Formats: sequence, C-alpha cells, structure tokens
Amino acid sequence: MKKIATLLLAVLLLVTCVGFGLAEDITLDVIICQYGPNTNDWFTGTGMDGSNFVTKFEEANPGIKLNLEVVSWNDVYTVVSTRISNNNAPDILNIDTFADYANEGLLLPVADYCPEELYNDFFPSFIEQSVIDGVCWAVPDLASARALYYNVDMLEEAGVEVPTTWAELEDVCQALLDVYGGEVYPWGIDMTTDEGQAAFAYYAWGNNGGFVDENGEWAVNCDANVEAVEYAIGLYNQGFTNPNPATQTRYDLQDMFGAGKLAMVIAPNSLPTYIADKGYSGVNYAVADIPHNEGATSSSVGVMDRIMAFKDDSAPDQAARNEAIGKFLTFFYDPENYVGWVSMEDFLPAVNSAVAALVEANPSFEAWLNVLDGCQFYPTAKAEWIDVKQGVTSAEQNALTGGDVKTLLDALQAQITK
Amino acid sequence: MNSILVRHKWEPYVWLLPSILLMTIFVVFPIGIVFKLAFSEISKAGIVGGFVGLQNFKAAVSAPVFGTVMINTLVWVVSVVGLSTLIGFVIAMVLNQEFFGRKLARSIVVFPWATSLVIQASIWNYIIKFEYGNLNNVLLNMGIIKQAINWRATYQIEFMWECGVGIFVTIPFVTFCVLSGLQSIDAAYYEAATVDGATFWQKLFHVTIPLVRPSLTVSTVLNVIYVFNSFPIIYTITKGAPANKTDTLITYLYMLAFYDQQKGPATALSVIGFIILCIVAGAYMMISMRKEDEA
Repeated sequence: MKKIATLLLAVLLLVTCVGFGLAEDITLDVIICQYGPNTNDWFTGTGMDGSNFVTKFEEANPGIKLNLEVVSWNDVYTVVSTRISNNNAPDILNIDTFADYANEGLLLPVADYCPEELYNDFFPSFIEQSVIDGVCWAVPDLASARALYYNVDMLEEAGVEVPTTWAELEDVCQALLDVYGGEVYPWGIDMTTDEGQAAFAYYAWGNNGGFVDENGEWAVNCDANVEAVEYAIGLYNQGFTNPNPATQTRYDLQDMFGAGKLAMVIAPNSLPTYIADKGYSGVNYAVADIPHNEGATSSSVGVMDRIMAFKDDSAPDQAARNEAIGKFLTFFYDPENYVGWVSMEDFLPAVNSAVAALVEANPSFEAWLNVLDGCQFYPTAKAEWIDVKQGVTSAEQNALTGGDVKTLLDALQAQITK
Repeated sequence: MNSILVRHKWEPYVWLLPSILLMTIFVVFPIGIVFKLAFSEISKAGIVGGFVGLQNFKAAVSAPVFGTVMINTLVWVVSVVGLSTLIGFVIAMVLNQEFFGRKLARSIVVFPWATSLVIQASIWNYIIKFEYGNLNNVLLNMGIIKQAINWRATYQIEFMWECGVGIFVTIPFVTFCVLSGLQSIDAAYYEAATVDGATFWQKLFHVTIPLVRPSLTVSTVLNVIYVFNSFPIIYTITKGAPANKTDTLITYLYMLAFYDQQKGPATALSVIGFIILCIVAGAYMMISMRKEDEA
C-alpha cells in the first residue's frame, strides 16, 4: 500500500512538473537570412564572444526557447512558402518583402509585440516603409546604401573628373575607352534577376522618375523612366559597360572593380570590406554620388531587410507569445548585441541607439548614415512589388537584346494595373 | 506443399514492399499533390485555396515567353540527347577496341559523369568567362588569338554553350550503356559477317546497331527524362537570362514558382512537363520494343 502511494505521489509530481514546464516554456521558431559567412556562427556557433545569440538569449530570458534556423537568401523564399503551405509558418521571420504576408492576414501588427521604447528607437523613415494603411507590419533589421565607387588612378590617367551628370558620365566613359581600349570597362551595369530592380532605380530616380508617382500609384512607364532605361541601354550599346549585364551580377562587377578591370561601379557601402576580404589590393578608389540627368537630383538607393512575426492561432497563450517575441526583438536590438551584428555584416543600423557606438568604432559610418538619410527605398509595401521587381528586370533584359523600352514598360504597367 | 506454394506466391511482393512503399511515399504521392495544386488557387505567400479549373494552365500557356521556353526545351532535349548519343556511341566503339591505355581512357571518360552537375556548370562558366576565362587565357598564351573573345556575346551563343555542357556531361552515360551492349555481342557474328564479305558499315548497321538497340533504348529514354528535367546547367550559367530567352521548361517553372511567386502557373507547367515526358518516353519505348520484337 505504501509502495502504491509513493508511486502515485511520484507520478503526480512528474505530471505537475511537466505541466508547469509546458505552461512556462515558449519556443519561438525563428528564420534568419544568411547575410555572410559569419551569420550562422554569430547566431548559433561561437561568433558572439565565444558564445552565440541563441545561448545568450535563452540565458537572459528563462522560459523562452529559440528554434533558430539560418537560411540562405537563395532558399529562404522556398522555405517560408513551403512552411506557410503546410500551416507551419515561423514565429519570427527575417526577410526583405512583407506585403504579401500582410495582405493575406498572416502577420501580427508590430504594435502587438514590439515594446514602445524599441519602436521609437527605429529610424522613422525606415519604419514608414513597412506601413500599409496605417498599420506597421514589420521592423527593419538593417540597411545598406548605394553610391558610386570609382578608380581614382584610372580617371586621372584619362584626365577626367568623377562624373556627376549623365552627359559627363558618357564623356568620362569615352575618355576611359580611348585610354584603355578594351582592357577596362568604364561603367558597370547589373541587370540580372539579382539586381535588375536596383539598376532601374539608379537611372529612374536619377531622372526624377521612379516606380510610383507622387500619389504612390504605379508609374513604371512614365516618360522619365523610359528615358532613364534608354540611357542605361545606350551606355551598353556604346560599349561603355561590362559585356553581359543580364548575367553579370553585382558580385562579378565588384570582382572586376577590385581587380582593376572596371573603372566605375554603383555598389553598397560594404564594397571596401568585400574587396579586402577577397584579397584585392592596389585599387585606389573613392566614393561619390550616383550621376543623374541634367535638371534632376542624385538619389542613393537604400535597401532594407525586415523582421516580422507571424500569427499562430494555436498558441495557448497569445499574450505570452507576443511578449516573448518582444523580448527577442529587445535582446536583438540591444546595442550590446546589435552593434556587433551590424558591424560584422558591414551593414548600416536601423536604430538610433546603435549609431553612436558604430560611429565610434568606424568613423566612415557617419558619411554613410548621411547618405542613408537622403536615400529612397523600393515600394515594397505595395502588393504588386514582386511583379514589378521581376517585370523591370525582364524589360531591361529584353531592351538589352533590342526590345523597345517604351513598349516593354507600357506592357509591364498594363500588367500590374489590370 | 500448399503452404510452400502460398509462401512463394507472396514472397516477391514481400520483397518488393519496401520499394513500393518508398515509391508511393516519395513519387506517387507527390505527383498526386502536384496534380491537385495545378487545379488550385495558390497565393503568392503560398496559401492553397480552392479549385480553379484550368485557370493556372491558361495563365501558364498564355505567358508571352511560353513559346520561347518550349522551343528552347525542344532544342535542348533533341540536341543534348541526340548529339551525346551519337558521340557516346562512337566513343564506345573506340573503347571496345583493344589498345594500350584502354583502361585509363575508360576512366577519363567517366570523369564528367562522376562530378556533380553544379560543379561542372560552374567550371564551364569560368572557362568561357570573357574577363578571366580559362579558354581566353589558354588561347592568348598559345598565341592563337590576339585579344580576348567574348564567348557569350549573344544569348543564342550562351544557349549553345549550355547545350554543349549538357552534351559533355551526358556522353559518359551513353558511352557506358552502349559499351555494355557492345561487350555482350558474340564475336561469332562479326566473324560470320567478315566471312560473308561485309564491310565495316554493313557490320555496323546490320550487326552492331541491332544488337545494342536495347542498351540504346534504355540510355535514350533515361537521357530524355534526365535532360528534360535538367536544371543546374542552365541555372548556373545564365539563370534563363536575358528575359527567359535561355530558359527551358524546368528552369522557367522554378523561376516562376520561387522568384516570381506564381506557384499556380508553375505547378501547371510541371504537370504539362510530366505529361510530355510520359508521352515521349512511352512512345519511344513502344517503338523500340516493337522493333526488338520484329528483330
């Protein structure tokens, strides 16, 4: 009898313990995109002062477990889409686009989980990019800005100054061709499926055009855009650019620039690190504004990624889940962690609290933060963005093979506004 | 006695059961799912909605690039399978002869087959690069060309390169299929033909080819399926650029599904591809089998 009572007591204790354990522990499924070779190590290896983000977070937040997966950019869309199809969306997702998820009612509004103090810490111009109909659906995790990099020695050899306008750019390209012949490409263009939308932005925004008009409506076929794309294709047709813009990616161009085969290229703020990591040496380069058309203004292109939280109706305690997501964000954006993350991946920060530490660590950050302040972003909050992104790239590639720019952009405009 | 018979009757099925289960779970079931999805609405985020009839098929077929993609697919399959079969056959004939270093030659032929397609395609991508390509470097160093040539000047040339890489990596499979067929031919047939005064070409067309036809049938059917479904070469070299002009059905539907987020039309295209493959492979096998029976 005593034995049975002891056994019952033990079972009762076990059930109680398990019960309490289940009630307290929350596991968050997190997908982080792989920005570079160190991402995985920082989040799950030993890249964070001998430890990693997951371990440190779980130590600081008992009762919350992270099931964190670092996924390459090539695979992340497939992974997320498959998980959504199987009703297994992650709790927290780091990716660039968000509008489709928000429009289909899959996301939690940021206000539901993001502490107010943290929300107010984000750059307001960044937060605005994730707002649809007054509701913010995602927070920025980091950003990068683009500018013109040029080979100082080559331009000096050709006896020209860095170009600020499109007309000057053509003159400089011609001068470089005259001096270097086919040995150096004067100007780099990437119209691949990786960055075709960026190429469109460089020229359209540099001609006072853009993806949308002043009312925020799609305007990909406006006259300024047609002129801009025709100008870019003209650079290719005149032999000023790399020979295969449809298949040579930004990384190919960065390699050419590092190896002294390309005189000018529009690239992100991480280019110096890329060149150094690849072992290129002896390239004397400087940074300038992206050239623009006469009468228009130069505008840098800002690229931003986001963190968002998915709904999970099966979670037993929604408030506790939201709080756990908030704790994840608070820990991630804590300057003690976030500054290391942004510097490691060579990106620009998305929160004010990280600026001072970053500038102190690397004074060149300040100039880039100023560039970021005045740059424009893709209209990713619009549901048709993916179609537009693919469409402008396709139009550019068709134009490279002789297609009429106006006809191509008219067709794209008709497709996205039908 | 009866119990032994009963055991024997069921035994093959018991042994086959693991394979049947695997095929059902990993082949039949996914095919069924794809067919269902092809007739369903799928949102950009990946949510599967209700039945939409032929809407996905209409969207896929009416896309402006569909015709180009289908022509590319036809050129890709016919050129890669056709030329690799022809070249592989000739190499197999050579390797079937007795000569010094035959074993080494056979090992070398198998190399392209033993390497992953992605690696092969990446290497070829570097070989034909304009700026740092090995091909230009070798030709320049040998003094054959005076300045670097852009081996990828137009998308037509790029597609030709892709077909060339496809042929290069497919040859070993054909070679070894045909070689196994050649080695099974009894030398007495050739001796009899020689005694009857048959020429090389007569022996080739009246002895060799009829007797290696089963091997050729297997290699051709499998190659049609492999080459039609081949993804890494085109994706690694051009990603279908510019504007889908070098895409085949498989690379196009991948880009449609995972880059354009149009999963409905992409699923419809994969069903179309599956049906085309079934028809082509089935027809070829029926014709070949009939010829074998006649022979």
